[in-house]
This record gives sequence, structure tokens and C-alpha cells, in this order.
Amino acid sequence: MGNRSLRLPAPFEEAIRPYERELMRFVLRMSGNRDDALELFQETCLRAYQAYPRLTCVDAIRAWLYRIATNLCRNHARDARRRTRVIADAGANHREPTADEIGAGQDVEAMAKLIAALPHKQREALTMRKLVGLNYREIGAALGCSVESARANVSLAIKKLRADWSKL
Amino acid sequence: MSSLRPIDRVLSEDSASSAVIDELLRQGRKGVAARLCHVRRPDAAVGITRSPLGPLLVAVGPAGILMISYLRGRDAADEVAALRLKFDPVEDRRAAEEVGDQIRRFLAGDREALSYRADLTLVAGKFQRRLLDRLRQVPFGAVVTYRALGDAIGAPDSQRAVGNAMGANPIPIYVPCHRVVRSDGMIGHYAGGTQVKVKLLRAEGFAVDNNRRLPQQVVWGHLGTRIFCRPHCAAARRADTARLLIFADPQSARHAGMRPCKLCRPC
Repeated sequence: MGNRSLRLPAPFEEAIRPYERELMRFVLRMSGNRDDALELFQETCLRAYQAYPRLTCVDAIRAWLYRIATNLCRNHARDARRRTRVIADAGANHREPTADEIGAGQDVEAMAKLIAALPHKQREALTMRKLVGLNYREIGAALGCSVESARANVSLAIKKLRADWSKL
Repeated sequence: MSSLRPIDRVLSEDSASSAVIDELLRQGRKGVAARLCHVRRPDAAVGITRSPLGPLLVAVGPAGILMISYLRGRDAADEVAALRLKFDPVEDRRAAEEVGDQIRRFLAGDREALSYRADLTLVAGKFQRRLLDRLRQVPFGAVVTYRALGDAIGAPDSQRAVGNAMGANPIPIYVPCHRVVRSDGMIGHYAGGTQVKVKLLRAEGFAVDNNRRLPQQVVWGHLGTRIFCRPHCAAARRADTARLLIFADPQSARHAGMRPCKLCRPC
């Protein structure tokens, strides 16, 4: 027999509220710029709202939100690179996070640069793991890869950072 | 191996960046609210009501009733999935109870009971929309055949497609797909089950027998001439079938604004 209870999915705002803060931290980290982070956050929420009816597994909403945010961050980085190429003004649109934004000293700034120089998939996986605390299953779902691949990306990122850090 | 402690400081939120995040979040929420205004889907009140036809899932939007679904062995969540693409469902039992009450009065023979306007937003195809629009012209106490309904929208020999479209009708009862029957006098199938179709047709005055066959005492009314005849009247048999309705009795035909045929004198 069919289920007689409605079990309606939570309204969109209610569903994403627990993840808004960590999402903002994530896009700020990925874009390295407050204005861009604000725009990316709003765009992520807007696209998530439009796609929300097609989200069949509400339990996976966290990874799903990160997937939207990750794709938008990638698009944003790609567009920024194109713009930079056109106006030959490196760093005009995409600058690394400053020590002030991160709230720390020189060594932290140096580490931020090393992280920014990581391959984008490793950087995304590392940020999701260390900044947001997603588990590997969620990272895999957000990046569209397997759990093993997510684990490998984080591991490789840390390995590379260790190697680069020891050279400094 | 060298320490990677700065990584934790870079990828963690200290008090300074916490204030930044708070401010960004405040601005972000404001911006999202402003932008969502332009794309927000309208709300639809959704609820489950018990009726003599079984449990029904009901959705009512700002422009009228959107969906009635017979929950015979179906999960309500699956039924709501199609609604969610165009509306934001909000649980509201009052709207569902109101619809349930109207259906109870309808089954008791109140021809004016179904007062909600039918909103065909959830109908995807043009063919189905044309059929359902045409079907809404079939009055209480009358039925039409699958073939005649197809003919009426200019799609001859489409009786099977008409049947499929009736099966996918999002608002049964309010858009009366139970008023479509087979040409051989059998009542045909129904999305809510044949027994439900029998109940609905009996409520409209058709004495459907246990073999699910329409009674012999029906009259045929023509939408063009506004005349109703006995089924074997020569005038009725010459008439354009696309505009023929089958009425349960002469009173129903008179109620639909038709007069009796002067040749066969059906009443």
C-alpha cells in the first residue's frame, strides 16, 4: 500500500540554512575575494532553488550544494582567467586571499599561496575536507568522483603542500 | 617532516574571518531574498483528504485546483514530485478537506458542488490540454466516447491516445475524465479504478450495471442542434458524432439546455 503521509520536502530556505555559513566560507576560500564570494554565494543559492525540485535525495543536499558551488567557482575562475588574458592585468579580477582576510601573519600568507597554486580539484577537495569538514563520500559527490578519488585528492594536496612547505 | 600547522590556520575560521563571514552572510541572504523574488514559484496548498473514493492527494494553487491524485498503492511523495517543478508545496489540510467536502456533495448528486476552478498548469502536452479543455464542456449527467472526444478536437481515430491522455489527467473529477466511455457501451478504464468510475457515473444518474455497462435508457444530445433523441432515432444516427453527448436521462439533457427531438419523442 502507498504511504498516506505527505512527507513534503522542507522549504528551500529552511533546507539550506544549516549550510549557508560553511558555503560562504567555502566560496570565499575558493574565490579569495569578498565581492566574488558574495556573488558566488547568491548565484549558488539561486541555482540551488531552481534545481531544488529535481533533488530527489534530500539527504544528499549538502554534497549537492557543494557541487553547485564548486561548478560555479570553476566557471568563475575560468572566466577570470579569460578576462585577465584579455586585459593583460594579472590579479586584477582574481587575487589570492590576503593575510588580512585570513587574519594571520606571513607564514599563513605563504601557505595560502601554496594552497592557491594546487591543482583545482585537489584545492577543492582539500578545502572541503579541512575548512568545511565534509566526509569523503560527500566530497566525492560534490566533485563528481569516487570516494577513493576524493581521498586521493586530499592526500595528494597535503603531500604536495608538505613538499613545497619544506622548500620554503 | 616539517609542520603544516599554517594549513589549519589558513583553512580554519578564526575570530577575524568569522566577522567577515557574518557580514558577508548578512549581505548574501539579503541579496538571495531579493533575487529569489523574481524566480520564486507560487505556493500550492497540498494535503490528503479521505473521501468515499478513497484517500486523495489534493493540491490547490492561487489560480485554482491543480492536482487530485488517487493514492491507490502510490506514494504521496512521488505524486508531489511533478507538482514541485512548478509550485512550492505547502502542507495545508484545510484546502484538501474543502475539496474532499465538495467531492462528497458531488457524489450525493449536487451538480454545483465542484466550485473550485480547474488550473491546467500541470498539463504538459498540447494534445492533452485541448482534450481536457474540450472535456470540460461535457456537462453533469452526460458522457462522451473516447472516439468522439478525439474527433471533437480534430484528431480522428485517436481513441487510444485519448485514453492515455485521460489516464494522465492531473485533476480527475474536476476535469471530468470519468465522463469518457467506450463506444460499445462499456464504461472503460479509469485512473482511480473502475469501481470509482462506476461510483462517479452513478452519482451523475447513469444506472451502470454490474457488468460495467451503460444503461439502455440513455438519450443522445447534439451540441450543434441542441436536440436530444433516442439512440435509434434516424436523426441521431445521421448526426456528426464529434458533437454528440450521451445523457443519462432526458432531464439531464434538458438541464444542459437541449430540447427533445420531434421525431422520436424521447420524453
